[in-house]
Amino acid sequence: MRIRCPHCGERDNGEFSYLGDATVVRPDGMSASSEAMHDYVYLRDNPAGLHRELWYHGAGCRSWLVVTRDTRTHEIRDVSSARDVALARHTGDAA
Amino acid sequence: MSEATANVWAPRSAWAGYAKPGRHGRTQGDAGVRLTLRDGIALATVIAADGQTDALRALVSERYGWTLPEPGKSQVSRERGLVWSAPGQWLAVAETRDALRELPDVFRGIAAVTDQSDGRAVVRVSGPNARTLLEKGVAVDLHPRSFQAGRTAVTSISHIGAQLWQLDDAPTYDLAVARSFTGSFWSWLTEAAAEFGYEVEQGSAH
Repeated sequence: MRIRCPHCGERDNGEFSYLGDATVVRPDGMSASSEAMHDYVYLRDNPAGLHRELWYHGAGCRSWLVVTRDTRTHEIRDVSSARDVALARHTGDAA
Repeated sequence: MSEATANVWAPRSAWAGYAKPGRHGRTQGDAGVRLTLRDGIALATVIAADGQTDALRALVSERYGWTLPEPGKSQVSRERGLVWSAPGQWLAVAETRDALRELPDVFRGIAAVTDQSDGRAVVRVSGPNARTLLEKGVAVDLHPRSFQAGRTAVTSISHIGAQLWQLDDAPTYDLAVARSFTGSFWSWLTEAAAEFGYEVEQGSAH
Protein backbone atom coordinates (compact mmCIF):
# COMPACT_ATOMS: atom_id res chain seq x y z
CA MET A 1 0.00 0.00 0.00
CA ARG A 2 1.23 3.48 -0.83
CA ILE A 3 -0.04 6.79 0.50
CA ARG A 4 0.19 9.96 -1.57
CA CYS A 5 1.36 12.49 1.02
CA PRO A 6 0.12 15.95 -0.01
CA HIS A 7 3.60 17.32 0.80
CA CYS A 8 6.00 14.54 -0.23
CA GLY A 9 4.20 12.65 -3.00
CA GLU A 10 3.56 8.92 -3.15
CA ARG A 11 5.39 6.99 -0.42
CA ASP A 12 5.56 3.46 0.92
CA ASN A 13 3.23 2.95 3.88
CA GLY A 14 6.23 1.93 6.02
CA GLU A 15 7.05 5.65 6.25
CA PHE A 16 3.73 6.26 8.04
CA SER A 17 2.17 5.16 11.28
CA TYR A 18 -1.53 4.71 11.84
CA LEU A 19 -3.42 6.37 14.67
CA GLY A 20 -7.10 5.70 14.11
CA ASP A 21 -10.47 7.25 13.37
CA ALA A 22 -10.17 10.86 12.16
CA THR A 23 -13.86 11.64 12.50
CA VAL A 24 -14.20 11.59 16.29
CA VAL A 25 -14.18 15.02 17.94
CA ARG A 26 -13.51 15.49 21.62
CA PRO A 27 -16.63 16.81 23.36
CA ASP A 28 -16.40 19.77 25.71
CA GLY A 29 -15.33 17.97 28.89
CA MET A 30 -17.04 20.49 31.19
CA SER A 31 -20.49 20.09 29.68
CA ALA A 32 -20.54 16.66 27.96
CA SER A 33 -22.37 13.76 29.58
CA SER A 34 -20.34 10.80 30.77
CA GLU A 35 -22.01 8.76 27.98
CA ALA A 36 -20.69 11.21 25.38
CA MET A 37 -17.17 11.05 26.85
CA HIS A 38 -17.34 7.25 27.00
CA ASP A 39 -18.39 7.20 23.36
CA TYR A 40 -15.54 9.54 22.41
CA VAL A 41 -12.88 7.62 24.33
CA TYR A 42 -13.89 4.00 23.74
CA LEU A 43 -16.42 3.47 20.98
CA ARG A 44 -15.36 3.23 17.36
CA ASP A 45 -17.22 2.25 14.23
CA ASN A 46 -15.61 -0.41 12.07
CA PRO A 47 -17.05 0.36 8.66
CA ALA A 48 -16.75 -1.93 5.63
CA GLY A 49 -16.12 0.81 3.10
CA LEU A 50 -14.86 4.37 3.26
CA HIS A 51 -13.09 5.30 6.48
CA ARG A 52 -11.42 8.57 7.42
CA GLU A 53 -8.33 7.87 9.48
CA LEU A 54 -5.27 9.63 10.88
CA TRP A 55 -1.81 8.72 9.65
CA TYR A 56 1.52 10.26 10.68
CA HIS A 57 4.26 10.66 8.06
CA GLY A 58 7.03 10.09 10.60
CA ALA A 59 9.77 9.10 8.15
CA GLY A 60 8.97 12.00 5.83
CA CYS A 61 7.62 15.47 6.50
CA ARG A 62 6.36 14.60 10.06
CA SER A 63 2.86 15.76 9.14
CA TRP A 64 -0.40 14.35 10.42
CA LEU A 65 -2.68 13.38 7.56
CA VAL A 66 -6.33 12.48 7.16
CA VAL A 67 -6.57 9.52 4.77
CA THR A 68 -9.89 8.46 3.27
CA ARG A 69 -9.49 4.73 2.62
CA ASP A 70 -11.84 1.97 1.54
CA THR A 71 -11.35 -0.72 4.19
CA ARG A 72 -12.50 -3.43 1.75
CA THR A 73 -10.02 -2.69 -1.03
CA HIS A 74 -7.39 -0.40 0.56
CA GLU A 75 -8.17 2.06 -2.22
CA ILE A 76 -7.24 5.55 -1.03
CA ARG A 77 -9.68 8.23 -2.19
CA ASP A 78 -8.17 11.29 -0.56
CA VAL A 79 -5.24 12.41 1.58
CA SER A 80 -5.36 15.80 3.30
CA SER A 81 -3.25 17.60 5.83
CA ALA A 82 -4.84 17.08 9.27
CA ARG A 83 -4.00 20.68 10.07
CA ASP A 84 -6.09 21.87 7.12
CA VAL A 85 -8.95 19.56 8.11
CA ALA A 86 -8.89 20.86 11.70
CA LEU A 87 -8.74 24.50 10.57
CA ALA A 88 -11.68 23.92 8.20
CA ARG A 89 -13.62 22.31 11.07
CA HIS A 90 -13.03 25.36 13.28
CA THR A 91 -14.07 27.68 10.47
CA GLY A 92 -17.23 25.58 10.17
CA ASP A 93 -17.87 25.96 13.92
CA ALA A 94 -17.54 29.72 13.72
CA ALA A 95 -19.92 30.03 10.77
CA MET B 1 44.62 21.12 32.09
CA SER B 2 46.65 18.28 30.62
CA GLU B 3 46.92 17.92 26.87
CA ALA B 4 45.18 14.55 27.00
CA THR B 5 42.09 16.11 28.59
CA ALA B 6 42.05 18.90 26.04
CA ASN B 7 42.08 16.35 23.20
CA VAL B 8 38.93 14.66 24.52
CA TRP B 9 37.00 17.81 23.72
CA ALA B 10 38.55 18.48 20.32
CA PRO B 11 35.98 18.82 17.54
CA ARG B 12 35.81 15.73 15.37
CA SER B 13 34.19 14.91 12.09
CA ALA B 14 30.86 13.10 12.17
CA TRP B 15 32.51 10.49 9.93
CA ALA B 16 35.63 10.08 12.11
CA GLY B 17 36.26 6.44 12.92
CA TYR B 18 34.06 5.21 10.06
CA ALA B 19 35.07 6.73 6.73
CA LYS B 20 38.57 6.25 5.41
CA PRO B 21 39.68 8.33 2.41
CA GLY B 22 40.81 6.27 -0.57
CA ARG B 23 39.58 3.63 -2.98
CA HIS B 24 37.36 0.85 -1.63
CA GLY B 25 35.08 -1.91 -2.87
CA ARG B 26 35.48 -3.33 -6.38
CA THR B 27 39.07 -2.85 -7.42
CA GLN B 28 38.76 -3.21 -11.23
CA GLY B 29 38.18 -0.16 -13.40
CA ASP B 30 37.29 3.35 -12.38
CA ALA B 31 35.33 3.92 -9.20
CA GLY B 32 31.60 4.09 -9.93
CA VAL B 33 30.83 6.20 -6.89
CA ARG B 34 32.53 9.13 -5.23
CA LEU B 35 31.67 9.87 -1.59
CA THR B 36 32.73 13.32 -0.43
CA LEU B 37 32.54 13.90 3.33
CA ARG B 38 31.03 17.34 3.80
CA ASP B 39 32.63 18.44 7.05
CA GLY B 40 32.67 22.04 8.13
CA ILE B 41 29.52 23.11 6.31
CA ALA B 42 26.71 24.97 8.06
CA LEU B 43 23.17 23.62 8.42
CA ALA B 44 20.18 25.15 10.17
CA THR B 45 16.49 24.39 10.25
CA VAL B 46 14.28 27.37 9.53
CA ILE B 47 10.67 27.05 10.73
CA ALA B 48 8.26 29.81 9.75
CA ALA B 49 6.18 31.25 12.59
CA ASP B 50 2.43 30.75 12.22
CA GLY B 51 1.18 32.83 9.30
CA GLN B 52 4.65 34.22 8.51
CA THR B 53 5.52 32.13 5.46
CA ASP B 54 4.81 35.01 3.05
CA ALA B 55 6.94 37.37 5.14
CA LEU B 56 9.76 34.77 5.13
CA ARG B 57 9.42 34.35 1.36
CA ALA B 58 9.72 38.11 0.84
CA LEU B 59 12.68 38.37 3.20
CA VAL B 60 14.79 35.58 1.70
CA SER B 61 14.12 36.94 -1.76
CA GLU B 62 15.02 40.50 -0.84
CA ARG B 63 18.06 39.71 1.28
CA TYR B 64 19.55 36.63 -0.38
CA GLY B 65 17.89 36.50 -3.77
CA TRP B 66 16.54 33.04 -3.00
CA THR B 67 13.14 31.65 -3.87
CA LEU B 68 11.60 29.94 -0.86
CA PRO B 69 11.42 26.34 -2.15
CA GLU B 70 8.02 24.74 -2.66
CA PRO B 71 7.39 21.26 -1.17
CA GLY B 72 9.88 18.74 -2.54
CA LYS B 73 12.14 21.44 -4.00
CA SER B 74 15.50 22.91 -3.13
CA GLN B 75 17.24 26.08 -4.11
CA VAL B 76 20.99 25.71 -3.70
CA SER B 77 23.45 27.61 -5.83
CA ARG B 78 27.18 27.92 -5.22
CA GLU B 79 26.78 25.77 -2.10
CA ARG B 80 24.29 28.09 -0.41
CA GLY B 81 20.55 28.00 -0.18
CA LEU B 82 17.44 26.39 1.22
CA VAL B 83 16.11 22.86 1.02
CA TRP B 84 12.42 22.25 1.78
CA SER B 85 12.07 19.71 4.58
CA ALA B 86 8.48 19.85 5.92
CA PRO B 87 5.45 22.14 5.64
CA GLY B 88 6.65 25.56 6.78
CA GLN B 89 10.15 24.21 7.37
CA TRP B 90 13.41 24.43 5.43
CA LEU B 91 17.02 23.38 5.86
CA ALA B 92 19.47 26.22 5.24
CA VAL B 93 22.85 25.06 3.92
CA ALA B 94 26.09 26.95 3.39
CA GLU B 95 29.71 26.11 2.71
CA THR B 96 31.13 27.74 5.84
CA ARG B 97 30.00 27.81 9.46
CA ASP B 98 30.03 31.60 9.58
CA ALA B 99 27.69 31.95 6.61
CA LEU B 100 24.52 31.18 8.62
CA ARG B 101 25.40 32.89 11.90
CA GLU B 102 23.28 35.92 11.08
CA LEU B 103 20.12 33.92 10.34
CA PRO B 104 18.54 34.07 13.85
CA ASP B 105 18.77 37.87 13.80
CA VAL B 106 17.69 38.22 10.19
CA PHE B 107 14.61 36.01 10.70
CA ARG B 108 13.71 37.29 14.17
CA GLY B 109 9.92 37.31 14.63
CA ILE B 110 9.40 35.53 11.31
CA ALA B 111 11.05 32.13 11.68
CA ALA B 112 12.77 29.98 14.29
CA VAL B 113 16.34 29.04 13.38
CA THR B 114 18.10 26.03 14.91
CA ASP B 115 21.73 25.24 14.18
CA GLN B 116 22.16 21.68 12.87
CA SER B 117 25.78 21.95 11.73
CA ASP B 118 26.97 19.43 14.30
CA GLY B 119 23.65 17.57 14.43
CA ARG B 120 23.65 16.11 10.93
CA ALA B 121 26.29 14.33 8.92
CA VAL B 122 26.34 15.14 5.21
CA VAL B 123 27.94 13.15 2.41
CA ARG B 124 28.00 14.08 -1.26
CA VAL B 125 27.28 11.14 -3.55
CA SER B 126 28.42 11.44 -7.16
CA GLY B 127 29.95 9.36 -9.94
CA PRO B 128 28.46 7.31 -12.77
CA ASN B 129 26.71 4.84 -10.42
CA ALA B 130 25.45 7.40 -7.88
CA ARG B 131 21.78 7.02 -8.81
CA THR B 132 21.94 3.23 -9.08
CA LEU B 133 23.53 3.13 -5.64
CA LEU B 134 20.86 5.28 -4.00
CA GLU B 135 18.07 3.38 -5.73
CA LYS B 136 19.12 0.35 -3.70
CA GLY B 137 17.98 2.05 -0.50
CA VAL B 138 15.71 4.98 -1.32
CA ALA B 139 12.01 4.16 -1.77
CA VAL B 140 11.45 7.29 -3.85
CA ASP B 141 11.63 7.27 -7.66
CA LEU B 142 14.96 8.94 -8.50
CA HIS B 143 14.60 8.53 -12.28
CA PRO B 144 15.13 11.90 -14.03
CA ARG B 145 11.52 11.91 -15.23
CA SER B 146 10.39 12.36 -11.62
CA PHE B 147 13.43 13.55 -9.66
CA GLN B 148 15.91 16.09 -10.99
CA ALA B 149 18.39 18.73 -9.84
CA GLY B 150 16.56 21.04 -7.44
CA ARG B 151 14.47 18.24 -5.93
CA THR B 152 14.63 16.94 -2.36
CA ALA B 153 13.16 14.03 -0.43
CA VAL B 154 12.85 13.40 3.28
CA THR B 155 12.64 9.64 3.64
CA SER B 156 14.40 6.73 5.28
CA ILE B 157 17.29 4.62 4.05
CA SER B 158 17.86 1.29 5.74
CA HIS B 159 15.44 2.41 8.49
CA ILE B 160 17.52 5.55 9.10
CA GLY B 161 15.86 8.93 8.63
CA ALA B 162 17.60 10.73 5.77
CA GLN B 163 17.19 13.80 3.63
CA LEU B 164 18.67 14.01 0.17
CA TRP B 165 18.73 16.78 -2.37
CA GLN B 166 19.95 16.58 -5.96
CA LEU B 167 22.45 19.25 -6.96
CA ASP B 168 22.99 18.66 -10.67
CA ASP B 169 22.12 16.34 -13.54
CA ALA B 170 25.38 14.34 -13.32
CA PRO B 171 23.68 13.37 -10.95
CA THR B 172 25.19 14.62 -7.70
CA TYR B 173 23.30 14.30 -4.41
CA ASP B 174 23.86 15.61 -0.92
CA LEU B 175 22.60 13.27 1.75
CA ALA B 176 22.09 14.15 5.41
CA VAL B 177 21.45 11.83 8.36
CA ALA B 178 21.33 12.49 12.09
CA ARG B 179 24.92 12.48 13.29
CA SER B 180 24.41 9.69 15.82
CA PHE B 181 23.36 7.38 12.97
CA THR B 182 26.55 7.99 10.99
CA GLY B 183 28.04 4.57 11.77
CA SER B 184 24.95 2.58 10.81
CA PHE B 185 24.36 4.71 7.74
CA TRP B 186 27.98 4.42 6.60
CA SER B 187 27.70 0.66 6.95
CA TRP B 188 24.72 0.61 4.56
CA LEU B 189 26.25 3.12 2.15
CA THR B 190 29.57 1.34 1.78
CA GLU B 191 28.00 -2.13 1.52
CA ALA B 192 25.75 -0.79 -1.24
CA ALA B 193 28.60 1.05 -3.01
CA ALA B 194 31.13 -1.79 -2.88
CA GLU B 195 29.96 -3.48 -6.10
CA PHE B 196 30.66 -0.28 -8.08
CA GLY B 197 33.99 0.54 -6.42
CA TYR B 198 33.96 3.79 -4.47
CA GLU B 199 36.33 6.61 -3.70
CA VAL B 200 36.06 8.38 -0.34
CA GLU B 201 37.41 11.90 -0.15
CA GLN B 202 37.41 14.60 2.45
CA GLY B 203 35.48 17.68 1.46
CA SER B 204 37.15 20.99 2.02
CA ALA B 205 37.04 21.74 5.75
CA HIS B 206 36.85 25.32 6.86
